[in-house]
Order: sequence, then structure tokens, then C-alpha cells
Amino acid sequence: MWSTAREIADGDLVIIWFTRDALQPLHITAGKELNTRFGVYRHSDLVGVPYGSKVGSRNGKGFIHVLRPTPELWTLALPHRTQILYLADIAFVTSWLDIKPGSRVIEAGTGSGSFSHSTARTIGPTGHLWSYEFHEARASKAREEFTRHGMDGIVTLNHRNVCKDGFTVEDTVDAVFLDLPAPWEAVQHAKKALRKDRTTRICCFSPCMEQVMRTVSALNDAGFTDITMFETLLRPQQVDVLPAPPSVAGAAAQLKRAEARREEKRLRQIAQAQRAKRKRDDGDGDGGAEDGGAKGGKRARTEDAEDSGAADTPLAGTPAPAADAAPSAPAEERKISVSKAFPEVRGHTSYLTFAVLLPPAVYAAAQGAAEAQSSAASGAATPQADAAA
Amino acid sequence: MDVAEGPSSSSVVSEQTIEAGHTLLLKMPTGDVRPHKIEKDTTVNLGKFGSFHANHLIGQPYGLTYDIVDKSLKVVPPRPIQEVEDTEATNELINDGEFVQPLTSEEIEELKKQGLPADEIVKRQIEQHANYQLKTEYSKEKYKKRKVAKYSKGFSTVIPALYNVCEYWFNKDATRLRDIRPDALSQILNLASIRPGGRYLCVDDASGIVVTGILQRLAGEGRLITICDIESPPAYPCMVQMNFPKEHTAVISSLNWATADEDYTPIVASSEPPTGKFKSEGQKSRLNKRKVASDMLMRHREELFAGEFDGLVIASQYDPWSILERLYPYLGGSASIVVHSPQVQILSDLHAKLRDLPGYLGPSLTEGFLRRYQVLPGRTHPTMNTSGTGGFILHAIKVYDDPNASSVMAHRQKAKKAKLEAEANANAAPATSSAEPERPVSDETLAETTQPIESSDAAMES
Repeated sequence: MWSTAREIADGDLVIIWFTRDALQPLHITAGKELNTRFGVYRHSDLVGVPYGSKVGSRNGKGFIHVLRPTPELWTLALPHRTQILYLADIAFVTSWLDIKPGSRVIEAGTGSGSFSHSTARTIGPTGHLWSYEFHEARASKAREEFTRHGMDGIVTLNHRNVCKDGFTVEDTVDAVFLDLPAPWEAVQHAKKALRKDRTTRICCFSPCMEQVMRTVSALNDAGFTDITMFETLLRPQQVDVLPAPPSVAGAAAQLKRAEARREEKRLRQIAQAQRAKRKRDDGDGDGGAEDGGAKGGKRARTEDAEDSGAADTPLAGTPAPAADAAPSAPAEERKISVSKAFPEVRGHTSYLTFAVLLPPAVYAAAQGAAEAQSSAASGAATPQADAAA
Repeated sequence: MDVAEGPSSSSVVSEQTIEAGHTLLLKMPTGDVRPHKIEKDTTVNLGKFGSFHANHLIGQPYGLTYDIVDKSLKVVPPRPIQEVEDTEATNELINDGEFVQPLTSEEIEELKKQGLPADEIVKRQIEQHANYQLKTEYSKEKYKKRKVAKYSKGFSTVIPALYNVCEYWFNKDATRLRDIRPDALSQILNLASIRPGGRYLCVDDASGIVVTGILQRLAGEGRLITICDIESPPAYPCMVQMNFPKEHTAVISSLNWATADEDYTPIVASSEPPTGKFKSEGQKSRLNKRKVASDMLMRHREELFAGEFDGLVIASQYDPWSILERLYPYLGGSASIVVHSPQVQILSDLHAKLRDLPGYLGPSLTEGFLRRYQVLPGRTHPTMNTSGTGGFILHAIKVYDDPNASSVMAHRQKAKKAKLEAEANANAAPATSSAEPERPVSDETLAETTQPIESSDAAMES
């Protein structure tokens, strides 16, 4: 559907990557110019450049990456006409519906074409996608887009309200994907479109539980089985390179130092008090003993306050501060990469209701075949003991 | 291309028909899934669920449910969901450990021997059950379902779809699959943009589930080269249950970490007869075979070294960076790089490394979340037990760097700096106020990073 050549050619669709959050699809048209706040680029300058190249702006300010489109990049870059489907849902639906090269698939509605592009890529030129959109402007926009992306051979787009008018094919498709406000109204039509010569599958995509309940009951009434429902999301992880968290040994050492300082102070106070007492005892008269004591105490506290900021002279037996700091130093040097979920993430997209259709013709034929086998084999089959009987 | 409307050709249909030699996944009434290679004229023994003649199953479409009756198979039509009427019953009067079931297991065995169908045995159990009527309707349903599953003789065949095969292996042994759950596998295949006709490289130490997925998405068109850590091509056990037609597996070739090394010359024994003449026909064919093998090896090497592959998928026990270092040169521009790991640490280290390298664009790291619901009328809720992890996925795009191209941001900053310096020089401001003019700059820079400009990548990451 898109160019597979190594180099970009005139007329190609490319994805311009400005930043992770700013992508833009671009049809290379020689003579045109791409003028953005990330610089100025002539389309003709991109012709002949290998896909995946970083290209500098003509004025030397800014650069872009020119990428080969994939349905996943298209999903990030596409012009939104509706709420679009994202990777996790698209991938899971593709898998459950067993969509693979050669599959015939129905999708309704087309919306912004996110699922259509992914499906077209997966089913390839041997498969086919019938896409239905009831909104006329969106339908023609999508049709135009599919043509420009070279998907005409793979996708047939119909402007049609499938809930009212049904699908344009009968007994044809392997899988149906319904992204409609009221999928239950299209369930019978879907049943008609699904092929009757083998097991087929359906998925209904609805954001609300009430829609799911109505869909489930419509599927059940229409004879679908194995009805099940899933929710799937992507949790983007934020990676940071941080200093390794320090060991508590560092905190312990600091606490121990503080404790040692306090002890030192206490001993100093005692020493000071004793000095003061000795002075008093040496002096004459004991009238002002209490006053002097109080004064001494106050003086001691003031001295302490002054001391505490400065380096204490360590008492005998107190380890040197340098030795304490040693274990925590290398931990601060070491960097580690850590990851956590982003603080705000998409919490819900839609519920995916799946079911299987096993057409009666399949098991009737199978029963016939089994019976024919039975009668043919009954003579030949040797009686064998059933282990469990 | 055939877009004819109507059922497709028989060759596509045969993909879903059971053939002799296929490896089937058989689902027991209890939900267990067992693999079984079916061969003509043999008996398939499912233990307590019965046994039957294999020929009954050959030629049958996949995905049907059978009862086993007298060693032959009876197709069971699918059952719709039963509406359950809500009643006032509660478990108020039901106590644990009470004797409620007078029907002994010996008696049940006897009934089974008589060939009574499972629902009939369950009916008798219910008739004799002392407290059955006290149960809520929901609880009765559950009881019946559990018992029927227990006494049923039968099974279903599982359609060999990628989802089913991945689910089977994941449930059986997630470790062997390196935690690649069906949703993770689907994301890997989409992120790598696997399409028919594409050319891919893959390192799969996950029992071949990724290789299986890529092969299915190629459907015989395109190319897959896998690199393994053993001398001979790996077996990739997950491929077995897909029962791929030959064309599907023809696109895969394998090299190992020695033969995939450009600087290494594989030691290949000479395929020339030492005497210059073949001694015997036996020697000739032996040496010819050796020549074919070594020629093939050389062709695969040349193909790898010629590069321009569309994507690389890694699900390996080896350091992903060591793999990228070796295989990155063989990727084309804009190729997708997808790395899966059960552990986030492995990928956060890789992410931290890649985002500083100009050859890797937009590395992203994600974790999948998947929740299944039971959907029954009046009883819809997420399943009580669920898989906790499907692993982590890192995705990046290979790009060709241009060291001369500089970002708009760098220019703006350079311009501002120059302007400021000019102002500072002109004013010859005193030292105390020199810090002042710098502040508005950083504020402005901050405001600009909220716009999607080049450096917001880094801002988002850091």
C-alpha cells in the first residue's frame, strides 16, 4: 500500500516526525514547500533521500525525521475525524478475530480509518476489507485517503448505514468488527455477511457496559456462541536515570554523629557546671549560689548553641567524620535507570465483546461425515479398553 | 487479486480441516487443553473423558465440540447462554461441611459405567441433594455446570489460530513463552508492522511464539531470518500446533551468533574429494549434500550482511543491547525495532541507553494490561483470577543521523545567549544584578518546551 523502496520518491506518502507528540503525514509533491516552526523544507529536497533520514532545515534551523508510513505511525499522525482506535485495541482485535493475510473482513464504521489501515496491512493483497461509514463527508474523505494510499485493491469503502441497510456482501467474510453506537442493531446483518462454511468471528467495540449488555443479548439471540469480553490498555512507562537510592547506613552514621555530639555537649555541660561549682566553692560566701548556678547553666547553653554549627572537637573514642561519610559517597556516584507508569494514563478505551459463529451447516455436515466414518469404521475398529470406564 | 464475493477457494478452507499428521489442541470439558498428534487408524485416548477412533476426526472442520459415544463422535451443537431467573434465595441456611449428597462416588462410577450421559447423572445427584433447593439460581447453574464438566465424555477441537496457540502455551508455561501473552504478541506484530512480503530479523528465545506470529503474518511471502544460540536451526515448538502449510515455513532461515558474525569465517569442511575424484556414489552424494549446506549458509550470511531489513523483533534471554549492536547495521532506514522482556529493568536500561543515541528514534516503553470479563445476564464481572503480566515492550525506529542538522531549540538558545551577552556587555552591569537577566531566559525556555519542539522529547523522558 505504501512505498517499499529504500529512497523517497515524488508522490510518496511520508510521515514527518517533528517530535514524539508532533507527527504529520506528507505527500511528496515536487515544487511544494513544507514550512513549519521546525524549519523550512522543499519537497524536492526529500526526493531521493533514504527513508528514516534526519533532514536539516534549509535555513539551518531545526530538523525533521522523514519516516516510512506504517499503520501505527499513521494512527499517531492521522487527521482525526472521530475518536480513533489505538494500538492495544487494534492489535488485540486483529488477534482474536484471527485476521491474517488473505482474510476477508468487514468494519463499520470507518471513522478516521485507523483500524482500516492496520487491517489492510495485515490482510495484504490477497485479503479484502469492506469498510462502511454512514457519515457522508467522512466516507468520502476516507475513500480519497484509501485511494491516495494505494489501498483500492484491498479496501472497498461504502457510504451506508449498516444498522438500517445491512452490508453489501453475504456469506463472504471471516470476521466482522463493529465500532458503532448501537452494534446490536447490526448483529443480524453481520450474521448474514459472515461466511457459512466455517467458524467465523465478530467483535463489537463499545465504551459503555450498558451497550455491552445489549450487544451480548443480541449476539446470543442471533446464535453466536463463546461470547466473551475483554478490556486492554497500554501503560506507558516513564524511564528515569537517577542516582542509586542511598543506603540507610549513611543516615545511621549521621544519627550516630549527632548522638555523639549531643553526648559531647552533655559532658561539656557537666564539666562546665563542675568548674562553676568549684569557682563558687572557692569564692567566699554562699548567698548567691542558686543565682550563680542558673547563670552558669545559661552561659553553658549559649556556648553550646554557638558551638553546634562549628566542627566539634571529637572526644576520645568518637570516630572521625571522614570515616562516617565514606560508605555513602560511592552510592551517590552510581546511576541507575528506573521506570514507573506515567502519572496520568488512558484508563479506558472501550470494551471488546467477542463471539464466534458456528454455522449449523458446518456441524450438520460434520455430523454427516462423522456418521459415515462411524459406519465405515465400525467393522474395522478394534475394541479397546477405555482406561477411565 | 481475487475480490470475488462469495466463499473462497477450497485451498483456504483446507487450512481449517483436520488432517492426519496435524497436531491438535483438544479442549476437555473441564477446560484443560491437551496437544495430540493425530495419525490415521489409531485410537485417541483422553482418559476419563473417553477414547475414540482417530479416523472419525480426520476431515472434520476445526472448532467443533463432540460427545464420545461408543468410540465414535457425535457433534454437539453450540449452546446459547441460559437466562437465569433471579430468586430470593441466599446462602443464609447453607452451612459448610454438612452431609448433603447421599449419592456416593462408587454409585456415580456405576452410573457412568452404565453409559448414562453426564446431565442425567447430575440430575440424579440434584434429586438427592439435601440443600439444592436452598441454593440461588446462580449457584445452581454453577453447580450443574461443574458437575456436567466432571462427568462428560467428550472434547472440543481448538482452531489453530495464533491467538489460541499463544494462549495455550501461555497458560501451560508462561516462562517458556517469556511471558508473551496473546495481547503482547499482537502488539509486537503490529509494532513491527509485519506484512506479507516484508523482510524481518528475529531473535526468539520464547519457544518460537514470535517466529510463529511472523510466519503467519507473512503467509509465505517475504523473508524471516532468525538468529539463535545453537549450532543447528532451532525447533521453535510453538509452530507445531499451527500446522502451517509448507509454503509458510519456506520463508524462514536461521543463522547463529557465530555464523551471523561478519568478522568470523565459519569452518566448513571441504566438499571436494581429497583425491580429486569421488571414491564412490555414497561419497559423492555425501559431499554434494555438504556443499549444498555450506552454500546455503553462505547465501544466508550474504543476505543478512546485505541488510535493509524492514524490522527486528527481539524476545531473548540475552542482553538486548548486545543483540542490537550486532543486528542494527542490517536494518533499513525507518525499520521498526521491537524488544520484549518479562522484566522492566532490562528494558529501562536499554531505553536509557537508546534515547541518547541519534540512530534510534522515539524509544517508548509500554506494559500491556488485559482483563477478561465473564458476561452472563445479571452476572457480568471481571474474572476473579487473571494473568498479572504479559511482559514489557520497547519500540524504536531506526534512523540515519545527520550530525550537521541542529534543532530549532539549540538555535533559539544560541540566539538568546548571544543577545544576552551583548546586553550584558553593553550595560556592564554590576556583579549582583548579573544573575537577574538569566531568569527570564529559563522561564521562556520552559514555556517553549510545552510546545512540541525538538527538546520536548528529552523533557518528556527525563
